[in-house]
Amino acid sequence: MKARLRPGVLFRNTLVVLLTLLWIVPTYLVVVNAMTPVKSYTGSPVWWPTGFAFFSNVVQGWQAGSFDQVFWNSVLYAVVGSGLAVALSSAAAFGLTIMPVRRPRLWFWLIYAGTLLPLQVFAVPLYQASAALGLYDTKTIMLIVYTALCIPFAFFITRNYLVTIPSEIGQAAKLDGASWWQMYLRVFLPLMRPALLAAFVFQFIYIWNELFFGISLTISAENQPVMAALASLQTQSSALSQPAILATAVAVSAPAIIVFLVFQRFFVTGLTSNL
Amino acid sequence: MGRLGVEPEHRIAVVLREGPPALPQHAPFGSHDPRIVMTLVKGSVLDETKTRSEPKSRPPRRSEPRYERRDRMAAAPFFLAALLVVGIVLLIPFVYTIIRSFIGSGDQGFVGFANYVTMFEDPNLQLSLFNTVFWAIGSLIIPVVLGLGIAVMTSSMKLGGIARAAVILPYALAGTVVAIIGNIIFTSAGSLNQALEFIGLLAPGAPVQWLLHWPLNVISALLIASWQSTGVNVVLYMVGLQTIPRETVEAAAIDGADGWVRFKDVIFPQLRPTTIVVIGLTITNALRAFDVIWVLTQGGPNRTSETLALSMYRESFLLLDPAVGSAIAVVLTIIVVVCSWIYLRRQIGNEA
Repeated sequence: MKARLRPGVLFRNTLVVLLTLLWIVPTYLVVVNAMTPVKSYTGSPVWWPTGFAFFSNVVQGWQAGSFDQVFWNSVLYAVVGSGLAVALSSAAAFGLTIMPVRRPRLWFWLIYAGTLLPLQVFAVPLYQASAALGLYDTKTIMLIVYTALCIPFAFFITRNYLVTIPSEIGQAAKLDGASWWQMYLRVFLPLMRPALLAAFVFQFIYIWNELFFGISLTISAENQPVMAALASLQTQSSALSQPAILATAVAVSAPAIIVFLVFQRFFVTGLTSNL
Repeated sequence: MGRLGVEPEHRIAVVLREGPPALPQHAPFGSHDPRIVMTLVKGSVLDETKTRSEPKSRPPRRSEPRYERRDRMAAAPFFLAALLVVGIVLLIPFVYTIIRSFIGSGDQGFVGFANYVTMFEDPNLQLSLFNTVFWAIGSLIIPVVLGLGIAVMTSSMKLGGIARAAVILPYALAGTVVAIIGNIIFTSAGSLNQALEFIGLLAPGAPVQWLLHWPLNVISALLIASWQSTGVNVVLYMVGLQTIPRETVEAAAIDGADGWVRFKDVIFPQLRPTTIVVIGLTITNALRAFDVIWVLTQGGPNRTSETLALSMYRESFLLLDPAVGSAIAVVLTIIVVVCSWIYLRRQIGNEA
């Protein structure tokens, strides 16, 4: 068979190699240009390394964009926002799948539907409400909005996990006289750990990378998330040279990339193992 | 990166093979990029999810000991907190935006469809609507076709994992970062023009102004966005490929079908359920793309690369016209929901 297919296989392999190169080129250009010393940068991107100034480039961008502050803002938003969303969602998922409820589908869709809508449909009222309540450009409004944005999908993950858990487990706990809260905290939360972690990691990356509400609801470095600050480096400041912007972009991408790489095996094995 | 969910005998394959195709009804096709992998993993268990949550299946549901009335109320505290947060921050604003779109600016009060008329008569917004459709179609061609191609071509290659890793890695990047990368490539003195000059396709000193003219600016944004989003589709198709019974492909090979015929007549038809999910996810995400375009071109120059997601932001937050901004948001929502609906309906039709 192999002998007969050789021209086809050759064609396929060539195509795959070309596509792979095509995909690596942008990444390569970022790395090379992010470490190009600002002084030797002519205004056009380079194709070959001309020195190693990555860290001093990061420092330049870091200072220009007040990343000392916004980096930690995003850590707060991503950790607390997704943590809260996962906590609330897992309770909701428990209530709607394990406990007896009337109209479970209605409640499911009310909690889940938000994820089908474009973000723009929430923006004006949230902006006006935050201005009216004195919450515009505060950490409070960002945490509230990010938590709410993450609930529908975290709920979806935890709920789908819970329906795969045999109902005998709940029944056994019930017969042992456990209250619903005991059952949730002692029995189901530990069982749900893979789904909780997966939901947390997904929402962490989502909040970390979020831009739209970052520029709609905050304005000051004191409260801006990291991508909002990075976007204004690119779109506003012309004083900063491209290598510094690229180096900063690489640096602020690191948390999401690391989380993704560390957990990507877990996503697949952890979640599919429960099918 | 290794094999992203590509263990051939994984149980996911068994589940998918036995049941009807993955139901995208519950798939978060509107969700934002980082979440999509979840869909492929969780989207496949939804048959069970669905039957269990069906109201009519409630009586035999879980054959539990009979619950008392007190117990039926007990669930409320568990889901009310999530419902309240989502209701106040997402659902009420959603309804408010719909109402707002029928109210004029200032103290004009109810104006009927006037904001929509203003919107559709504005040449900037007409172009924006066109660009939005262009994005939807373009993202079908590049990320879906390439995602399918890369998954199928690399699935049986020894070093295919390397190719997949290269394609999947950009997936963790923020749209903002993707746009910054796009900028060094597509700017007039950028890498793409350098490369074109180097291979002689472009005369030196006569750069193509990728970002400064329509439609090249729209295409540039679409290309760099596709660079990021194709990986997700590769992962989706890799999972889809696991659901194909190996015997069917082997039988075709024994019958003498070559690679292309095997793909066209045996593999692709069996990937249909995956394809529907991939198309739905890709279109709805393309319609909602904001970060990449905003950071790459700010929708410019002269608003020529705007899509509705950007137009809404510009009208509401920069031109301070929330009336038209709300109308744009509603139109965008309708397009997203209609696209989802068409694709859901097709899926349901296929199953019947």
